[in-house]
Amino acid sequence: MSGPIIRPPHPTPLPYRLRWRPEGIVPGAHPGHGDGAEGEFRRHVPLLRQPDPRRIDLRASLRDPYGDLHVRQFAPRRTVPVAALVDLSGSMRFGAAVAGRVAELCSVLALSAVRSGDSFALFGCDAHLRDDISIPLSRRRGLEEEVRARLAAAQPAGLGAAGLFEAAGRLPARRALVFLVSDFLAPLDETARLLDALWRHDVVPVVVRDGAVEEALPNWGLIELGDLETGAVRLVFMRPGLRRRWIADALRRREALGELFARRGLRPLDLKDAFDPDALARRLMEG
Amino acid sequence: MKWVATAWDGLSGHWGVDHPAVLALLMLALLPLLATPFRRGGVPAIALIPEDRVSRLMSAALRLAGMVAILALVLGMAGLHRREQSVEREGTGAHLVLLLDRSSSMDNSFADRAPTGDQESKSAAAKRLLTDFVARRPHDRIAVAAFSTSPMPVLPLTDHHAVVDAAIAAIDRPGLAFTDVGRGLALAFSYFSEDTDESSRAVLLVSDGAALIDRRVQEALRDAVARTPVHLYWLFLRSRGSKGIFDVPPPGEDTPQANPERHLHLFLESLGVPYRAFEATSPEAVGQAITEIDRQETRPIRYLERVPRRDLARVAYLIAALCLGLLVIAKLAERRLMPSRLPDVRASAIADEPRRAA
Repeated sequence: MSGPIIRPPHPTPLPYRLRWRPEGIVPGAHPGHGDGAEGEFRRHVPLLRQPDPRRIDLRASLRDPYGDLHVRQFAPRRTVPVAALVDLSGSMRFGAAVAGRVAELCSVLALSAVRSGDSFALFGCDAHLRDDISIPLSRRRGLEEEVRARLAAAQPAGLGAAGLFEAAGRLPARRALVFLVSDFLAPLDETARLLDALWRHDVVPVVVRDGAVEEALPNWGLIELGDLETGAVRLVFMRPGLRRRWIADALRRREALGELFARRGLRPLDLKDAFDPDALARRLMEG
Repeated sequence: MKWVATAWDGLSGHWGVDHPAVLALLMLALLPLLATPFRRGGVPAIALIPEDRVSRLMSAALRLAGMVAILALVLGMAGLHRREQSVEREGTGAHLVLLLDRSSSMDNSFADRAPTGDQESKSAAAKRLLTDFVARRPHDRIAVAAFSTSPMPVLPLTDHHAVVDAAIAAIDRPGLAFTDVGRGLALAFSYFSEDTDESSRAVLLVSDGAALIDRRVQEALRDAVARTPVHLYWLFLRSRGSKGIFDVPPPGEDTPQANPERHLHLFLESLGVPYRAFEATSPEAVGQAITEIDRQETRPIRYLERVPRRDLARVAYLIAALCLGLLVIAKLAERRLMPSRLPDVRASAIADEPRRAA
């Protein structure tokens, strides 16, 4: 990590859809709860049910053989709070993931949120909530740069990501779109507890992975590895048998994690090796 | 704490170094516990690595190799050696005094004439056979004494067979006049007076004649034998025509003056210790007699073997080289987990693109 980080040019805002209707009163871009006078057309209702003569749909009223007057009803467009909860425990230091692809991802998310009128908040968490790497909900311009700068300067350290629970408490009381960025190497039941703490929100788990510890392993050789969190050191004598076991273990862990997410109806987003804006766009448009 | 001191004595008694100050560097041997030759790479969680016993063993082995290498190097530099020492060993053999007659008659052949041509003098035959005899008994402690007109101590009881061989080699030098067996025997017995071992002791008297033993000397001999029991062998090199020790002369002639050999034989028998006399009339007979003595004197014996100082620096360096070689091989086998990419690399590559296009 030497030399200045040169930012990629032109981060593109990505549109995103929600499968649910956000609450709130601030006009925004997402079809929200309730009935409104403007926004996304929802249905026709009789004038008697919604006595708003300004919204009478003449064509629909004339087409009606019974001669009822129809009023157009709209879903109001509302904003949704978007938050990124970034795990900054020591394990995220591997491959400079935070300063790299996580920063890219969060800056694109911030840009997308601001462009669609939503507010964005960043929470960096190691054992505690890191205030220096957190940004409260905001929709000011240039937020994406701020997000990137904070994450690029972040030094992931510390043991565990208990701060994520604190961050969960700081999230707004209404349903928000939460990107939970972590490598999910914590024990599964801790992850499950964290997801339970985020029950109110629409959580998109972003699984930061690295092929170097999952597939791109050497067949033979000695590797000395230190745990980035606990500092425990282990010398590994790589050989094809151990490599197979290692890869099988990684696959099993991934499957267990996938099952955990599936049981809560969450669809994780893989952030493996490099940030792929197209994959993110696809995932966001799926809602 | 006493056993610590004893153990230290036991260690330092056998081992030594030339430069003790260098041993302070032995503390460096703890370094491999703190560091390894490898570049440590990070891994998000140690739990990602499958449990593997071979790896653990190898890790311990490499740490051990590092420690051993440093220990061996330091010990090598300090000049480790094993001190000169004597080791007590068990073998079969005896403490043996060779009591050799150096009277001039020994220079004659068995025919009692000056040796001519292929004839061998008695002393030469005795020398040859005794040399063989000594060579066959490597664990004996042997003393050599000679007697003629008066007894001559030649060599005290010793392990150094080269000296014994030299002493035996000297017995065919031209001899002196008379034969004083009694004082010779007294000298031979005196060799044992300070010998407190439990090994078997023997006196091998080689002579071709005898003489009267003074009564006082006789008493002294009885006394000495009573104090230190020995086995007595008399190898009587009988010249042709001389009287044998087993022949019983006609009555009236059986006086010590007339038959000193026979009376010496009788006197030795009367000492009350195991005693055998061999009457040899030819070199072959001498050989047989010596074989017989060889066969008899095979009791277990404790003897000290001296081991010279042995420098172990070379061995230490060899061990260090082996351990270091192991570590070098391990270092050459090192691989690293390469994280998929560093973020700034791609970013700068992208940033370079438009500039190049422009």
